[in-house]
Amino acid sequence: MQRVVSIALAGFAALSLAGCDGNPLARKAETKSEAGVPRAEFPQRVYWGDPHLHTENSGDAFGFGVRLGPEEALRFARGEEVTSTLGLKAKLARPLDWLAITDHSDGLGAIKALADAPGFLLRDPTMKRWHDLLNSGPQGSQRASAEIIDAFANNRFPAEFNNPDDIRKRTRSIWDKHLDTVERYNEPGKFTALLGFEYTLMDGGKNLHRNVIFRDGRAQVEQVLPLAALGTKIPDALWAYMEAYEKKTGGRVLAIPHNSNVSNGLMFQVTEPGGGAMSAAYARRRAAREPLVEITQIKGDSETHPFLSPNDEFAGFGVTGWELGDLAMAEKKRPDMFAGEYVREALKRGLTIQDRTGANPYKVGVIGATDSHTALATGDEDNFFGKHTGAEPNAVRAMQKQNLGSRQGRFGWHYLAGGYAGVWAVANTRSAIFDAMMRREVYATTGPRMTVRFFGGWDFSGNDLSGDWVRAGYKRGVPMGGTMKAGQGRPSFIVSALKDPDGANLDRVQVIKGWTDKTGKAYEKVFDVVWSDPGKRRLTGGKVPPVGDTVNVARASYTNAIGAPRLTSVWSDPEFDAGQRAFYYLRVIEIPTPQWPAYDALRYKLKLPPGVRVKAQERAYTSPIWYDPPA
Amino acid sequence: MNWRGAAERVLGEPLVHFLLIGALVFAVFGEDGAPQDRRIVIDSAQVERLAAEFAQSFRRPPTRAEQDAMIANAVRDEVYYREALRLGLDRDDLVVRRRMRLKMESFASAPVDLAAPSVTTLQGWLDEHSARFAGEPTFSFDQRIVGGALPLPASLDVAPRSEIAAQFGEEFAAALMRLPPGRWMPVTSGFGQHEVRLRERRPAPPPKLADIRQRVENDWRAAQAQASEERAYRALRDGYRVTVERGQ
Repeated sequence: MQRVVSIALAGFAALSLAGCDGNPLARKAETKSEAGVPRAEFPQRVYWGDPHLHTENSGDAFGFGVRLGPEEALRFARGEEVTSTLGLKAKLARPLDWLAITDHSDGLGAIKALADAPGFLLRDPTMKRWHDLLNSGPQGSQRASAEIIDAFANNRFPAEFNNPDDIRKRTRSIWDKHLDTVERYNEPGKFTALLGFEYTLMDGGKNLHRNVIFRDGRAQVEQVLPLAALGTKIPDALWAYMEAYEKKTGGRVLAIPHNSNVSNGLMFQVTEPGGGAMSAAYARRRAAREPLVEITQIKGDSETHPFLSPNDEFAGFGVTGWELGDLAMAEKKRPDMFAGEYVREALKRGLTIQDRTGANPYKVGVIGATDSHTALATGDEDNFFGKHTGAEPNAVRAMQKQNLGSRQGRFGWHYLAGGYAGVWAVANTRSAIFDAMMRREVYATTGPRMTVRFFGGWDFSGNDLSGDWVRAGYKRGVPMGGTMKAGQGRPSFIVSALKDPDGANLDRVQVIKGWTDKTGKAYEKVFDVVWSDPGKRRLTGGKVPPVGDTVNVARASYTNAIGAPRLTSVWSDPEFDAGQRAFYYLRVIEIPTPQWPAYDALRYKLKLPPGVRVKAQERAYTSPIWYDPPA
Repeated sequence: MNWRGAAERVLGEPLVHFLLIGALVFAVFGEDGAPQDRRIVIDSAQVERLAAEFAQSFRRPPTRAEQDAMIANAVRDEVYYREALRLGLDRDDLVVRRRMRLKMESFASAPVDLAAPSVTTLQGWLDEHSARFAGEPTFSFDQRIVGGALPLPASLDVAPRSEIAAQFGEEFAAALMRLPPGRWMPVTSGFGQHEVRLRERRPAPPPKLADIRQRVENDWRAAQAQASEERAYRALRDGYRVTVERGQ
């Protein structure tokens, strides 16, 4: 009996400790003040982060098997070792400076609740089936997840699943706990944990998802719940929610669309949703709410497609698989849809709409993100933990079919290891990072951490590459994300790209220009501005020859025997026409390096079929600088 | 009936609340004899199956340690599964009501010191895990790159190692650890050859609770949650006689 008593006592102790998590009496974590953090006069360094990450609170992530929550996600992002859901030790080679966890607002925590519910209480046969599948191991769980995504895309959830009262209570409970966790890990000046969620807007299987990111802390953000998207097909309700939030709390919030590449042409339409010419008011509202777009992530790259940019030999990075149809593969892609899906084209459409209405709906800067559903924000090829838990490192993931509600055409290797965002902020705090996002002083990379500066002005010269050139850039020009007003002569740009100090050399830096003419047509052109080994690599037919290739696929290795650590130039537009509206952005191209399937092949002794992406030229895209002609 | 709200609150928690009931059940059964349903056997066929699943994923057989971990996990699964059956989760919802009561009792009895751990508690945690909270060495140095210019500071003062690694790369930061101070020395980074004059290297200062209180508290809190789950499991687990049979 002695022993039983001691067990019971241990039990009481365990109970009281465990009571902490959901304890309404527990002290709330408070937002820490940013007051003591010094703010630079202008941005001195780039802060690396992931603005798009899912944890077990996302229904699909949970269904795919993840059992790590926001706490593990934050610990991992700031550089600590975490045990992945499948039991692997996971650690970033280099910590991130900031993170936004963006769990799906729709069904926040719902799949976890469904899996945990006592099965005998489930009356709806579909829910009972999902419950059983979710509890039957990883394969069943993934099958349930695919069915749930499919049902969501087609708005075919069982009524019992959509009980608004239940949803509100569940969302409130998870949201409060989430706010608490994030506040505990936000450390102004050292590591920024931003509050946010994903607004998972779908039109059928067409992806119109947005991430919503707040500038503020708990006091403001707890006044709202994450807005659900189910039942709507256009983002107006989200914008109204954002406007209401700002009015009610005095806070700030922005939204970032992602995976335009699987929207089947709907993300960047010329018209308003549903047709009809886009009004200036609509364009202004969208631009105000959505200053950025996610241009690259695990589910493919959305810069441009070879169909849209046939003369661009670097187009087509990360489009394989994703170009076949919408997110759910409910509708196959037709070539006429590409123009509404890729960011370069969206920037061009923005100019034409502005020419016509005076407002540019697509005046967007660009960021990269992982959109990882493992709670692990991994963006490195040699340390890639996959899109979801089923694709954590294992021998079969590269060739596995990815049945996101479909059974065709997409395989594991179509996922890209990558997507990070570089932010030129004056401090590592919520307000500084958010403000940099609002002014679009941000850029995207496919994983490597290149340092890229870009300034546009009217009087930059070669002398501006030495001395205190960054100060000169800010003083006499505008940084990435800015707009140049009319000036004298031709615009000139300071272009500076520094390789990832722990990564590959650079092949070249390009300026991508888009513009419109008097007929209302939009054009694009890629200029090679500066490249490595210019003595040996002379322009032929207006193009710089390829940099070469040191990749040893079998060993998953490369050397920096080619390329350059730094590429820098002052470039002025030789084709400038002061009457034409234009944008300019940089694309920084690395030398070829092995991709994650090559590392997998080495690690698991695989023989990959031909056609699998084993090497590629990773890259950075900056936000554009726009030129407005005199009215 | 709003079962979902209840179920999520009850079942979303770690399963520690089974503990009390588990202990009571144990009291009824007593220690002696370990009745059939108090015995868990992981037989050699199951051990082999676990090893085969592992080999399928990783293309090699598991090590002994990995095998032990898989077996321990299988036992844990079984313990929780049996306890859930014992509670009648597959039969009626009376148990759910009882567990909600337990949950409420746990709210009422939650000690204040967990909601807001004392300085003493946190200082103790920090002392016990001082390596985990060790600060960083800092460096003051001048640098120039051979044959070129970089948009990087020519001079840094009291810069932490991680900051240097972020700007100059890991190789460069590691080299500073070994560099003799006071004279210009060659150092390689991902950018090329530098000449570096180390002016001062300061070892990591001992961590002060006041500076890193939140981090210590986060770590302490996560460890408590994990430990309490482990304690609860242990108490349940001790109610079973576990036999593992390994094949050859």
